[in-house]
Amino acid sequence: MFEARLGQATILKKILDAIKDLLNEATFDCSDSGIQLQAMDNSHVSLVSLTLRSDGFDKFRCDRNLSMGMNLGSMAKILKCANNEDNVTMKAQDNADTVTIMFESANQEKVSDYEMKLMNLDQEHLGIPETDFSCVVRMPAMEFARICRDLAQFSESVVICCTKEGVKFSASGDVGTANIKLAQTGSVDKEEEAVIIEMQEPVTLTFACRYLNAFTKATPLSTQVQLSMCADVPLVVEYAIKDLGHIRYYLAPKIEDNET
Amino acid sequence: MQKSITSFFKKKSDDTDSPSPPKKIPKIDRKAELPDEPTIKAENGSPEVKPKAERMSVSPEEKTKNAPKSVKEETVATTDRKVTTIGLNSTAKDSKVDVENYDPSTDSYHPLKHAYWQDKKVTPYLALARTFQVIEETKGRLKMIDTLSNFFCSVMLVSPSDLVPSVYLSINQLAPAYEGLELGVAETTLMKAICKATGRNLAHIKSQTHLIGDLGIVAEQSRVSQRMMFQPAPLNVRDVFKKLRDIAKISGQSKMDLVYNMFVACRSSEARFFIRSLIGKLRIGIAEQSLLTALAIALVKKNHIDDCKASKVPDVYKDEIAETTLLLKTAYSQCPNYDIIIPAILEYDIKELQERCPMHPGMPLRPMLAQPTKGVHEVFERFGGMHITCEWKYDGERAQIHRNEKGEISIFSRNSENNTAKYPDLIARSKGFLKGEVESYIIDSEIVAWDVERKQILPFQVLSTRKRKNVDIEEIKVQVCVYIFDLLYINGKALVTKNLSERRKLLLEHFQEVEGEWKFATALDTNDIDEVQQFLEESVKGNCEGLMVKTLDEEATYEIAKRSRNWLKLKKDYISNVGDSLDLVVIGGYKGKGRRTGTYGGFLLACYDTENEEYQTICKIGTGFTDEDLQVHSEFLGKHVVSSAKSYYRYDPSLEPDHWFEPVQVWEIKCADLSLSPIHRAAIGIVDGERGISLRFPRFIRIRDDKNSENATDANQVAHMYQSQDQVKNNQKTSTQMEMEDEFY
Repeated sequence: MFEARLGQATILKKILDAIKDLLNEATFDCSDSGIQLQAMDNSHVSLVSLTLRSDGFDKFRCDRNLSMGMNLGSMAKILKCANNEDNVTMKAQDNADTVTIMFESANQEKVSDYEMKLMNLDQEHLGIPETDFSCVVRMPAMEFARICRDLAQFSESVVICCTKEGVKFSASGDVGTANIKLAQTGSVDKEEEAVIIEMQEPVTLTFACRYLNAFTKATPLSTQVQLSMCADVPLVVEYAIKDLGHIRYYLAPKIEDNET
Repeated sequence: MQKSITSFFKKKSDDTDSPSPPKKIPKIDRKAELPDEPTIKAENGSPEVKPKAERMSVSPEEKTKNAPKSVKEETVATTDRKVTTIGLNSTAKDSKVDVENYDPSTDSYHPLKHAYWQDKKVTPYLALARTFQVIEETKGRLKMIDTLSNFFCSVMLVSPSDLVPSVYLSINQLAPAYEGLELGVAETTLMKAICKATGRNLAHIKSQTHLIGDLGIVAEQSRVSQRMMFQPAPLNVRDVFKKLRDIAKISGQSKMDLVYNMFVACRSSEARFFIRSLIGKLRIGIAEQSLLTALAIALVKKNHIDDCKASKVPDVYKDEIAETTLLLKTAYSQCPNYDIIIPAILEYDIKELQERCPMHPGMPLRPMLAQPTKGVHEVFERFGGMHITCEWKYDGERAQIHRNEKGEISIFSRNSENNTAKYPDLIARSKGFLKGEVESYIIDSEIVAWDVERKQILPFQVLSTRKRKNVDIEEIKVQVCVYIFDLLYINGKALVTKNLSERRKLLLEHFQEVEGEWKFATALDTNDIDEVQQFLEESVKGNCEGLMVKTLDEEATYEIAKRSRNWLKLKKDYISNVGDSLDLVVIGGYKGKGRRTGTYGGFLLACYDTENEEYQTICKIGTGFTDEDLQVHSEFLGKHVVSSAKSYYRYDPSLEPDHWFEPVQVWEIKCADLSLSPIHRAAIGIVDGERGISLRFPRFIRIRDDKNSENATDANQVAHMYQSQDQVKNNQKTSTQMEMEDEFY
């Protein structure tokens, strides 16, 4: 028996919005510590890792470990039926081939439930090792989304260059070049507006805009985003989900060639 | 202490598969082409040398900071795909080297030892792609064939069941040509798939493709420049072939999805050749004849694997190779189906091949072609003293009509395309011309348009207005009549080894004429030169192109590969200076000046050398065009401009045109005569080692829409035309008999 209950459907909606562009389907791995999702997009260039801790739920029960393969498009359709303030509960029997998603209005007057078929997905599980990153940048999530959107107009790839002075995003294409530099914030008044750079070694890496822009779909989940970089290692873009867990995107770098 | 840097992503399932995963050196695979190595990896500390371009220089100060700092973060790296297949430890190293350097063109290549997929018994697609890549970089034809034969030999020895797909992939076919299964994937669809798989923009890919002129290369660059989190399992030849067939059979969005899924798994040059296969142009210069030769050499190499080095085989076993090639080509011309031939050569002795691969109705055989002559005199020179027959040469469409034991009729064109659906009217009345007991047959004939009211032949242009597909018998406006001139198979017996006189006798025994529907070609058996001349004039009056001249008894079998004595054709316009016009390919254009500004003012033409599979320049041309012609040509060819000359164009740098074109259009050209030229390359090495042949005063006659560029005039034909000029003949008394294989009309 698996049961997980969240006070507000809006969080789950936002989580789905943050991953459904990259992934068509994914497996939700449930255990008594929480819910885990890990999957690569079809092109195997990026990877999504979602962690929702059990203690972040209003109610969480998971008797046996359970893997539920879901079509994320269908899941998003179901979540559209919920009001933002509704309670949401996910339920499944052990070894079931369906999952039930139930919405209850705040005043308990309306209860709707949806049953969705599960899928058998044989996805690769990748072990994600720990790494010392050369650079870790924390910045406002909105700012990052804006930068990615703006730079995508100039080129299909973005160069992220992190030094002691700050972090620079640049793109060059037929139109010309674009550079956006962010310096570390001097004094931190509002934590959510700060730009914080921890650097051991300068790093310059190139990434495809398409994926970065897909990652920024998670912006509504968090005020801050954390970019971790290291040469020849995938970029990690992390959005914390307050009191519940985090969503991390991994993106394999592009190989810079001299022509572009 | 376990350093985090040496760890990398790995499949969790691997842990169970391999109890103690050996320490691997994590590294990002720059070219994404190591199938058996971790693709992405962690940070410094690894003994791998980092690509310099990717690292910024590190000041000592920063370095010291580096050590104590610990932002513990997880990182991503990928691991080997299948633990069960190739080992991860030392063998992985070896195989990695083999994969990257797989090169079947080296002298030391050993078909067994260097076939790095030995233990898997499944041919990796990468090995084939590597072979293609090496062949593409190779200049000489013999070397290309040798390289391909090395690969084939490895496949024969290690993974014989992959030989059929390997062969089909090498000539970019999905099935025997007569089945007409084609890929037909639009370039834009492919571009979209590449975009999706590599995160690039469609517009960028388009502009880059325009610049480079080859989507295959663009695909490879896009693939190589974007790393992946986790490399999908390596592709193998049989799956790729199967998937390509699937792609050909389905349509719509799912086609694009299939392409996409395959493309994601491509590594390095696989991407190039996979995309090229889909476009339909492999561009490695291997065509049917080269392929058959390569197969023959591979067979001989296989037989002598222990005797000597593979690179020596072609020299030591020259005769055996020649014999094998002939047997193979003979079998292929009567049974053009690799699905039958290849299992047969693997299983049986090559000498049995002909019996193992018999001809049968429903499967087209290569038609006997004719070569042009300049006049009646030349015919008699060539056929001196033999019994000959002349038949009218009808101006229509060549048709091989088959009927099998079940009574099913199929009709094949000159190029072995299935035309059955085009002539439902013929099939409906196919019983009428049988005489006596006929169960199965293959006849060779010409289909011409027929004026029912006036009972006469209509020109070819009328025939070409007939619909090609989904022909409804009620709606046929152009009636046709079939002129039968040969019988190749009757009631289960092949007749190709019989002489023409016997075949003709059997033809008359089993078939009869039906007015306006089935006729025998008008023929005259004579050895009198005046009668031939007169017969030629009659044929022209009868709306024919001229005559076909054949021997009746000597060398009169219908065996293409054995080079039965060729048929000759005598055309009505033989009186002009050069016996026949030439059909040449436009490969370049020079910008027009003055009145011709804005269009091309001149063009560079080439003939096709079937032996070397290359286009050789033969002349520049600027006359014979109306202004309207130039406008039309410029518009059409403007769409086929490529940024640089194709590797298979042979030309002198002094002739470099303003624009190079794809070899897409064939023009009929007449000229005053042919001469040796220091700058043109046509037939170079045939008549003269240094010089090629060029045309004097070339004139444009018309576009030959019915011919594709590989059916253009062949270098041998050019050489022959040159040598048969009176002037040249008088100079060199001993004119060699040129052998020509291709038709020329």
